[in-house]
Amino acid sequence: MSKDILVIGGGIAGMQSSLDLADMGIKVHLVEKLPSIGGKMAQLDKTFPTNDCAI
Amino acid sequence: MLDVGRHPNIELLAYSEVEKVEGEAGNFKVTIRRKARYVDEDKCTGCGACAEKCPTVVSDAFNEGLGERRAIYSYFAQGIPSTHTIDADHCRQLNGKKCGICAKTCQADAINFDQEDRILELDVAGIIIAAGYDVFDPSLIPEYRYREIANVVTAIEFERLLSASGPTGGHMDRPSDRAVEAEIAGLEKKAKKSQKAISKLEEKFNEPSAQFYKKYQAGEYKDDEDRKKWADKYTAHLAVTEPLEELKKQAEGFTVAKRLAFIQCVGSRDFRFYPFCSGYCCMHSIKEAIISHEHEPETTSSIFGMDIRAVGKGFEEYKIRGGNNSNITYVRSRVAEITEGPDNNPVVIYEDTRERKVKRQEFDMVVLATACAPIKGIAELAKTLGVELDKYNFIKTSSLSPVDSTTPGIFVCGCAESPMDVPESVAQASSAAERAAETSFQTDLEKEKAVA
Ligand SMILES: Cc1cc2nc3c(=O)[nH]c(=O)nc-3n(C[C@H](O)[C@H](O)[C@H](O)COP(=O)(O)OP(=O)(O)OC[C@H]3O[C@@H](n4cnc5c(N)ncnc54)[C@H](O)[C@@H]3O)c2cc1C
Ligand code: SF4
Ligand code: SF4
Repeated sequence: MSKDILVIGGGIAGMQSSLDLADMGIKVHLVEKLPSIGGKMAQLDKTFPTNDCAI
Repeated sequence: MLDVGRHPNIELLAYSEVEKVEGEAGNFKVTIRRKARYVDEDKCTGCGACAEKCPTVVSDAFNEGLGERRAIYSYFAQGIPSTHTIDADHCRQLNGKKCGICAKTCQADAINFDQEDRILELDVAGIIIAAGYDVFDPSLIPEYRYREIANVVTAIEFERLLSASGPTGGHMDRPSDRAVEAEIAGLEKKAKKSQKAISKLEEKFNEPSAQFYKKYQAGEYKDDEDRKKWADKYTAHLAVTEPLEELKKQAEGFTVAKRLAFIQCVGSRDFRFYPFCSGYCCMHSIKEAIISHEHEPETTSSIFGMDIRAVGKGFEEYKIRGGNNSNITYVRSRVAEITEGPDNNPVVIYEDTRERKVKRQEFDMVVLATACAPIKGIAELAKTLGVELDKYNFIKTSSLSPVDSTTPGIFVCGCAESPMDVPESVAQASSAAERAAETSFQTDLEKEKAVA
């Protein structure tokens, strides 16, 4: 039996959960439908409420 | 994003989809299709030389169709993985035509037209669904005339216009003006060609075309075949240059959009579509108005809505700051219709719900704050995974276990669960990771038990 985790979707939510799991020492397989990860957040110029750059 | 690409514990499977899931919590068998990119991920350096030479122009989805890319492309400049991909729907070579220019250009020998989809089988203890959301299609609300009026855009399109790496380099150029500029560029190309043709004849006959043409029209050179050709070429040239001059004159008056309207709850809080509040749209309209004002201090923005929902840490302050420092007016109203006035200016017709009066106001550009809709493929994905959906087609959870799907071992976070902003998505993502880790460690314990 494997203890790996599958994450479906590489937007901000999928990236964050992948990183958290990976930092706990768990192997993650992150599946993204599009050619690159980033999701909608990568399309944003800046994000509220701090106006930080999105990527 | 970079950290995800680099982390030794993360296997990144981009351009891939889940095809089949069997088993149960602690022991899922997953089948994944890795779609052919026709580019070897390990060889491609991301240099972009191929895309510079590729002759096939395709509308760019990352820029919401406001820009163009080639059939071989990188999804966006900083994308991870940084490899290029060939769009099999548009590539000439992959559609039976002769091309292969990219393969000849690529120094890394990364192009492989024979690549096929690969199937990958994985054993996992748990699954997290983080498949996000789609932007609501505002053309479903015909009275807003999205796509009919060029200068009515969605908020996500507006994000691309604001972006320094976007199709306008961060200038608030209006779509109607950009269309005219594209037409000018096309006509200029044609004019150059037709100019070349008549220049040759001008040299041959040692006379300017306009002068010759006057005489020709007056009936001179009746049976002169060569001069007839010249006249034909000149009329063709005029058919290009006359509208070109007109458009150029028109373009002299173009300036960036400075009078902006933002229309809230497009598809949200609307019983015809989604009764729920999408949560983040009030805030992103304020953000877009603030950034537009930073780009161009003369910008004024009117935000039309039932109310402004600024529920989050620092959000109300952000709203007030926008009003005080960034020329934003919050107009309590219901928008009935958008029409088009002179100069391609959209006109917003609305009821001022404070004064109970119907009013109209002209703008340079209107931005629609579209609802957070479930992704198109959600029903198939839920079926593949064996999880239930709620009545709006988001992944079903319950209030006391907000990141657990209806199937043990499968968790959810972000907008796949319900509309939410980035800070909430991140918080849910960490919760889902924690829940998935429990499943994973459970598997560990069971393994130990089995050994003992
Ligand atoms: C115009 C606009 C501006 C915004 N501005 C802000 C802001 O300033 N601040 C803020 O906090 N929030 C903002 N938001 C909200 C923000 O976009 C979301 O909160 C956030 O992107 C949600 O992230 P997510 O990972 O859940 O979804 P997404 O970003 O949608 O990511 C989902 C990923 O999953 C992939 N995927 C989908 N289906 C599948 C499948 N079947 N298999 C594999 N992969 C799949 C998608 O390709 C995508 O990469 C804005 C939203 C809009 C529309
Ligand atoms: S495919 Fe070749 S030419 Fe294109 S980006 Fe990759 S390395 Fe460069
Ligand atoms: S084969 Fe031609 S059309 Fe296809 S990606 Fe390469 S250069 Fe573009």
